[in-house]
Amino acid sequence: MERLTDIITLVGAETVRAIAGLIGVLIIVVINAILLTWAERKVAGHMQRRIGPKEVGPYGLIQPFADTIKLLGKELLVPKDVAKPLYHLAPILIFIPVLVSFIVIPFDTHLQVKDITMGILVILAFSSLSVFSILIAGWGSQNKYSLIGAVRSVAQNIAYEIPLLLSLLAIVFMTNSFSLKTIVEAQKGTWFVFYQPIAFLIFFIAGVAETNRTPFDLPEAESELVAGFHTEYSGMRFALFFLAEYTNIFIVSAIATTFFLGGYSGPVLPGIIWFFLKTYALVFVILWFRWTFPRVRFDQLLNFSWKILIPLSFINLLVTGGILKL
Amino acid sequence: MHNDGMWIYGWHEVFRRMKVVADIVKGAISLLVGMGVTIKAFLSPTVTVQYPRQTITIPPRFRGHTKLVADPKNPEKTPCIVCGMCVRNCPSHSIKKVEGEKKEGEKTKTVTEYILDFTTCSQCGICVETCPVDALAFSADYNPAGYRREDFHYDLVKEFEKRRTRE
Amino acid sequence: MVRKTIEEITKALQGAEVAEVPYGEKGYHIGVSIDTTNLVHAAELFDRKGFYLEDLLCVDYVDYLELVYFFNTYQTLCRVKVSLKLEPDNAIAPTISHIYTIAHWYEREIHEFFGVFFEGHPHLTYLFLHDGIEFYPLRKNKVPVSDEAKRLLNSFRPEEEEDTFSVNLGPQHPSTHGVLRVVLKMDGEYIVQADPVLGYLHRMQEKMGENRTYNQFLPNPARIDYPGALLLNLAHVAAVEKLCGIEVPERAQYIRTITCELNRIASHLLWLGAFPADLGALTPFLYAFDDREHILDILEAITGSRLTYCYFRFGGLYNDVDDTFVEGTKRFIKRMRERLVMYEKFITKNVIFINRVTGIGILKPEVARKYGCTGPTIRGSGIPYDIRKVEPYAAYNRIDFRIPKGETGDCMDRYLVRIAEMEICLNIIEQAIENLPSGPYKTDKVPKKLKPPQGDIFHAVESSRGEAGVYIVSDGSDVPYRMRWRVPSYSNLMTFPYLSQGLLIADAIAVLGSYDIVVPEIDR
Repeated sequence: MERLTDIITLVGAETVRAIAGLIGVLIIVVINAILLTWAERKVAGHMQRRIGPKEVGPYGLIQPFADTIKLLGKELLVPKDVAKPLYHLAPILIFIPVLVSFIVIPFDTHLQVKDITMGILVILAFSSLSVFSILIAGWGSQNKYSLIGAVRSVAQNIAYEIPLLLSLLAIVFMTNSFSLKTIVEAQKGTWFVFYQPIAFLIFFIAGVAETNRTPFDLPEAESELVAGFHTEYSGMRFALFFLAEYTNIFIVSAIATTFFLGGYSGPVLPGIIWFFLKTYALVFVILWFRWTFPRVRFDQLLNFSWKILIPLSFINLLVTGGILKL
Repeated sequence: MHNDGMWIYGWHEVFRRMKVVADIVKGAISLLVGMGVTIKAFLSPTVTVQYPRQTITIPPRFRGHTKLVADPKNPEKTPCIVCGMCVRNCPSHSIKKVEGEKKEGEKTKTVTEYILDFTTCSQCGICVETCPVDALAFSADYNPAGYRREDFHYDLVKEFEKRRTRE
Repeated sequence: MVRKTIEEITKALQGAEVAEVPYGEKGYHIGVSIDTTNLVHAAELFDRKGFYLEDLLCVDYVDYLELVYFFNTYQTLCRVKVSLKLEPDNAIAPTISHIYTIAHWYEREIHEFFGVFFEGHPHLTYLFLHDGIEFYPLRKNKVPVSDEAKRLLNSFRPEEEEDTFSVNLGPQHPSTHGVLRVVLKMDGEYIVQADPVLGYLHRMQEKMGENRTYNQFLPNPARIDYPGALLLNLAHVAAVEKLCGIEVPERAQYIRTITCELNRIASHLLWLGAFPADLGALTPFLYAFDDREHILDILEAITGSRLTYCYFRFGGLYNDVDDTFVEGTKRFIKRMRERLVMYEKFITKNVIFINRVTGIGILKPEVARKYGCTGPTIRGSGIPYDIRKVEPYAAYNRIDFRIPKGETGDCMDRYLVRIAEMEICLNIIEQAIENLPSGPYKTDKVPKKLKPPQGDIFHAVESSRGEAGVYIVSDGSDVPYRMRWRVPSYSNLMTFPYLSQGLLIADAIAVLGSYDIVVPEIDR
């Protein structure tokens, strides 16, 4: 114990907290990826009246590990003409925005890596960076199909960031603060979803579109010609893109929980358990969407965002502002 | 209708806008109904059969590969008289060889070798139908498996002998 | 109608021999025989009168080649056979592909298999046999392919234009279309031109028809159209029965109707699973296959096969049905009605699906007539043409059912027509099960070696995709002289290049899915 306190005073409490937070975040990311790989296939199976994986381990729980081993064993095919720095950078770059978003999410009353005063802005700014990494992946592949897929994905992400932002802004109006901790504390009485149901719906739909999940997954659709921006990636690099997608799903659900469903507040059980329960309930809804709906066509997708979601979120903002003023 | 830059709503414009909102709401409800269907399926039992741990009973008329049946009057032998009708009538020429010999004191030949190449058989039933002594029938062998193509060149006489000695 | 048509033809074409033919024996009403000078006039005459080109085929009688054109109407039944004799060494005929667009592909096929040259045809290149041919396959003698002909056949080169690039759709598909390759020339996101490339699944069923006896050919129709195997089996069996004059007992007719309708539901369920899967909804596939399992179990209990049935025989059936079949079918009908309600809630009313599918791929009836489309494709465009009503066979004239039709001819209409057809099939099965007569399931008067009298016959049935027909020419022996299959997916698919111009790929895939094509049928 003595040596620990010596190290802490030497290095500084903040640094220790940062390192512990980073390790915790990485653990959550890895466990989440494993859990979601398994859960997606099980949920898909049961919705289709069949059992998902069941041979590998009890209830198929070891299936994600089997998948990882398989992917690690694949040949890392690099096409001849790729732009080498861009091609190799993209799978790594796609993780950075997600990991940064983890820093500001409050898992429990004192379990937050850093409570930045401008928490929301950090999240939104870094999620725009993920667009950049998609474009790098598509361009670096030097494949006309990947480029088309990447461009479509970029257009989709840009279009759906605006309703995302505007619906969160309604919550900011209500609490007068950008910090996530304050927002969760303000929901001790009633959750914001009862005050802002429309904002919740808009945020959720925009979040699903941001993560490129069905019904908005045209850029990576299987029955299209183009397989999206990750066509030319094989083996573990391909797995990294999917890992990023699953982590994105978790982040979107976590932010929705923080802003609308009360974060870690709840009776009896410790806060962190409530947080994970609520977040994974929303993750289940996102998985549910995938196996129920067909895909939205690309121009209908953009129309939906620009012509329906954005006006609706503006109206929501106006009504919120009006009510708060009175 | 516009009047000097001011919007004056005619009734048809109000109805049009109300219809747009109604369409959006109806669309959202249809999505929720669809989600209700999937969640009901999620909570219902699965309809798959865990083969090979569980199996289904095969209906008696199932068309596996053909087999030689036992003569009802003399269960030790099959009625096959080596006439060759099945060989001639098979559309895929799957019955490769039917050999027989005439034993002492018998009126017709008895079959000693009957090679069926199951890899080209289409289970049409023409051989079963055209046999004048009804010596052939379909077996219930629904999951044949092997490592080489020769594993599926069945000798029906040997199979008949194996079945006979087993009982 | 028949009299009127005969008069008009005799008046319009000089030198044509027009004769009325007994429909019950031959399957067509009027036989016209003309020569090459009259052919284009005849085609224009039929086009003016609103006929569609049902089939275009060639038969090699060793002294001469005969080109046979079948024309038919959507309204009242009047099938006209126009035949044209050509020299075997120098077979040249004018093309009619500027009048009937589907003739473009029929003529390419005849050129490839018989060596008939069509003057005025845009490009007579390979349709099925892309590996190259040394001898014309369907000729009775070995007629070698000249070098000039080989050069002509090989000249399929998609031209490169500015600002376009070519992309292959297939031959491996994520959905169960089959092995079909479409070469799409794209301008950015939009399709400029689509060329289907066939022949990946070609098995020479027509040549097999000439090498096997009538009895030995029985397993083959099931492999031509595998989801609707019993329907094509019925076409073959009914055609030969008509040719030989074999009477089928009533019980067999009713059982044939019931099993064919069950097979039609199974085929539509396969399409119902694959079509939303093209659009991205992956769950209806599993639900549809769950329902299909019930049908396949019922049919397995009586026929013994699950997919490629070889159940009908000349004069009746292979074996009789028992009470478990009747009970099982009644239970299935009850279950299926509830499932259809579920599919309506899940897919038909889904707003995303409606937006993907409405207004896409509108096929006008006039255009469909030029291509000879039949089945749900033409019923979706508003023409209620169904062979079961127009030329009843089996027990259909004793059963009461309606024909669904659509309004505009877009993908949504074709979808709704097929869903309505599934419900109507349930009604037909119910009525047939109620009135199932007792009696023998097969007549005894069929000779072991079936030798039909000399002549030809055309028989069509309504398969789940449209009108499937077989044309048999018999020379009195126990092997057919020529057996030709008219398949509905062939003419339905050929409207795809026309409809897909200017569409996005997502829409083109929706259009392709709404046709419900089966590629083994197209390639035979």
